[in-house]
Amino acid sequence: MSWPGRNWLGPVRTATGGILRHKVQAVAIGLVVLVSTASATLGLALLAASNTPFQHAFGAQDGAHVTVTVNAARAGAAELAATRHLGGVTAAAGPFFSSTVSAQFDDQPYGQFTLAGRGSPAGPVDDVVLNAGHWPDGPGQVVLDGSPGGGGPGLGSTLTVTGVPGTPVLTVVGFGDSITNTADGWVTPGEIARLRAPGAPQSAQVLYRFTHAASYGEVRADVAEVSRALPPGAVTGAASWLAAEHQATGNGAIMEPFVVAFALIGLAMAVLIVGNVVSGAVVAGYQRIGVLKSVGLTPAQVVVAYLSRVGWPALAGCLAGVVAGNVLAIPVLHNSADAYGVGSQQVPWWASVVAPAGMLALVLLAGFGPALRAGRLSAAEAIAAGRAPRTGRGYAAHRFAARLRLPRPAGLGLAAAFARPARTAVALAAIVFGATAVIFAFGLSSSLSRAEASQTHSATIPVRVEPFGPGTGPGQAPSAAQDAAVAATLRAQPGTRHEVAVYGNGVKVPGIAGNVNAQAFGGDAAWTGYGIIAGRWYDAPGEVDVNTAFLDSSGLAVGDTATVNTGTTQVTVRVAGEVFDPDSQPRMYGSTRTLPGIATPANLYEYDVGLRPGVSAGAYVQAVNGALGSRNPWQATAQRHDGKFYSIASGLVGLLAIMIAVAAGLGVLNTVLMTTRDRVHDLGVFKALGMRPGQVLTMVVCWIAGPAVVAAAIAAPAAVALNTATVRAMAGTAHTGIPASFTQVFPPSRLALLSLAAVAIAVAGALLPASWAARARPAVALRAE
Amino acid sequence: MQQGAVIRLDGVTKTYQAGAPPALANLSMDVAAGEVAAVMGPSGSGKSTLLNLIAGLDRPTTGTVTVAGRRIDNLSESGLARFRARHVGIIFQFFNLLDDLTVLDNVLLPAQLAGASRRTARARAGELLERMGIERHRDDYPARLSGGQRQRVAIARALVNSPDLLLADEPTGALDTATGLAIGRLLQQLNAGGQTLVLVTHDPALAERYAARTVRLLDGRLAAAEVAA
Repeated sequence: MSWPGRNWLGPVRTATGGILRHKVQAVAIGLVVLVSTASATLGLALLAASNTPFQHAFGAQDGAHVTVTVNAARAGAAELAATRHLGGVTAAAGPFFSSTVSAQFDDQPYGQFTLAGRGSPAGPVDDVVLNAGHWPDGPGQVVLDGSPGGGGPGLGSTLTVTGVPGTPVLTVVGFGDSITNTADGWVTPGEIARLRAPGAPQSAQVLYRFTHAASYGEVRADVAEVSRALPPGAVTGAASWLAAEHQATGNGAIMEPFVVAFALIGLAMAVLIVGNVVSGAVVAGYQRIGVLKSVGLTPAQVVVAYLSRVGWPALAGCLAGVVAGNVLAIPVLHNSADAYGVGSQQVPWWASVVAPAGMLALVLLAGFGPALRAGRLSAAEAIAAGRAPRTGRGYAAHRFAARLRLPRPAGLGLAAAFARPARTAVALAAIVFGATAVIFAFGLSSSLSRAEASQTHSATIPVRVEPFGPGTGPGQAPSAAQDAAVAATLRAQPGTRHEVAVYGNGVKVPGIAGNVNAQAFGGDAAWTGYGIIAGRWYDAPGEVDVNTAFLDSSGLAVGDTATVNTGTTQVTVRVAGEVFDPDSQPRMYGSTRTLPGIATPANLYEYDVGLRPGVSAGAYVQAVNGALGSRNPWQATAQRHDGKFYSIASGLVGLLAIMIAVAAGLGVLNTVLMTTRDRVHDLGVFKALGMRPGQVLTMVVCWIAGPAVVAAAIAAPAAVALNTATVRAMAGTAHTGIPASFTQVFPPSRLALLSLAAVAIAVAGALLPASWAARARPAVALRAE
Repeated sequence: MQQGAVIRLDGVTKTYQAGAPPALANLSMDVAAGEVAAVMGPSGSGKSTLLNLIAGLDRPTTGTVTVAGRRIDNLSESGLARFRARHVGIIFQFFNLLDDLTVLDNVLLPAQLAGASRRTARARAGELLERMGIERHRDDYPARLSGGQRQRVAIARALVNSPDLLLADEPTGALDTATGLAIGRLLQQLNAGGQTLVLVTHDPALAERYAARTVRLLDGRLAAAEVAA
């Protein structure tokens, strides 16, 4: 190969001027590369986001290693300020006065909130990231932890603070994230005083960062040092960053398996489609190259001319793709940050470089081999090769199709797939990937819905009755009379279908370090709808169900017996079943008869209620709360839709599936387009013989229909297997097994219906070139060769 | 204008590019039923354009084209396709057979596209293949046939729907002399049976031998029309 010096690129530029005459091919290359680059950028951003997101956000937001709560009456400002200079303290913020209040939203109890008074979200420690709205700048304003939506308060909503004089109303003016959850909401510093219940001690938070806080031991030592520096009894509580990290890691890791699954599908698709585009363009361009060589282009010039013909559209696609990827990533990463419980996440700069650069390199690499071949061909060979000679392939298929009782255009189209088996195989693979992604997305959404329903019990337990505020019993707990009133009220409601008292306490099981969280039901609880992974729900005294973490911790299996120390007595129980409860802490469920000693008034923490069909949860809650009266601490609440992770995951799954389906459709479009160009003369002949535009459309769509049916047959089992593996991997990261029903989301009829995605992708991709072919004038098509 | 004309062009102009000279300019002509008309002229004179307009493969820029009693210049693409399938058979210089279909399937195709019944189409195709003398090649692929045999297949294909009009674009142009003569005789026999035929050719001998009338085109205009002896 020679590389002459002057004006070397002149002929190359002239030779590549043909790009404008191949607009559709250039647009197809550009679009495929755009979609691939966008999905690669998004995939890399998500992978980066799922890679130790808490640690990144903790560093970026100067998270508090320890949030110390002090009784401000016992520690003065000077004493608190002095703790900033303790050995090991690297930064401190506060004191921020705080108050824990009960609030109502939409006239319903909305739980307890710890509100801190802060003048600004920024600071040397715990930089709160505002997700929406603005920081409180006046009285009566609050910023809540988290994001708006999900059925809870939104911007402009009001919360009524109960239990303090004047029942002040707070307007939600913003939402923010504290990486270590230092508070549930923030108000102006001056607001705290009127939010404190009469007689309640004046509390304040001081936020610290320490040199050594990597373990619970180090954190305990840090807290001890602060406590020693303050008057006795001044420190009333301390929250470690390690607890927040544990919770965030548990949430985020669950998303990794499906993000990785989609990223791999997307990458395979990109390689496949780009390879197909470039090879097709090379074959289609041989004749042109032959002509260029015959007028004097050197082999090197041919290689460069050819690469630039695919390179320019690819470069445009890469640039547009990286922009699209960044734009798409904004809402996705916003959701991801919510799921991970971190303030905000951005597309890392390297993702915006690696994705387009990698994709461009891939395109050029895919084109280099064929371009080099073209460069080495003699002019005569290139011209001959450009005529894409018929090889005799597909004749038997045509013969067979002619005998079928199908409309002739359909038969011609179906048989045409066999004329270029390699190209058909690539199109088939693209459809397989696209259809697999779509079927997988539907399956995963169904699996996640079942997991959500099983975890939140939103369908089976639409109403819960829990204590809010002080009761008249010992230690301000609800009194026995107040407890009895709840049970009586629930039984009296005509809408009540099921109700059961739930007691909870820690129990000891030999072999398990720490407490086992035991729940004892005061009646039939089979209706509560726990997903059964193995065994069955307990139905006899002496039987319990446990979660996966219990079995993992104890080494026991379903059917084994365990000794349980309830604190008042020791009982032997038999494990009847393993239930779905994604938690790293061991849990046990049984009746109050099986777990004696737990069913005490102090351990009664809620009543679960199932409603009769057609009964509105809202109306039921109002009726119950009306009957209980405002003096009873027990209040009914309709289940809040707390499955934010699930809705975020489902949205993400849908977005990724759509992107891959679009890329697959573009792959099909390109394949059909190349075939249309190859066969343009035949199309002219068909038209000259009387083939109508509708028949042309049918024939061209049928070119890809056969591969689409085969792709459906491959994609369906592939998606089922992928869904099962992904759901199991997600469950594994959430420390739980899964009920078989979570993966059995593809009944045959549904799978058959979803398999039509392959046909839909194929038809959608083929329709555009098919309609071009249908519209082409026969005289023009006949002249085209 | 002739009475009973199968083809009638009235003031037809065809321009491919604005500002460029027209391929056909204000052309008017008739071809009567059962007539053999030859269209001759040098390259670029508008012969193929004229053939395309008569066949409904293209549309005139202005003027009207009426074939078999039907005005076709204002038909939709589907209408034109139906028209071609039922009323026009086209024979191309380079045969334009579909390589991946057998001889029989090539011949059957226009009938199938026109919606003919399977039995009728096969009977008609068999009859034509026999008439063209290529019945024994019915299951062969075009690539295995000689040029003359391919052109016979193309003629059979053009006739399968019993068209009112047969258009032949240089039907002997890709054949040796002897084969060309044989194809010429075949076309003559078809005309003897009443088939209207329009021949586009460079070959004055072919036109003289078989055409009753020769239409000469020059720069898209009618140069002269003459009637053979």
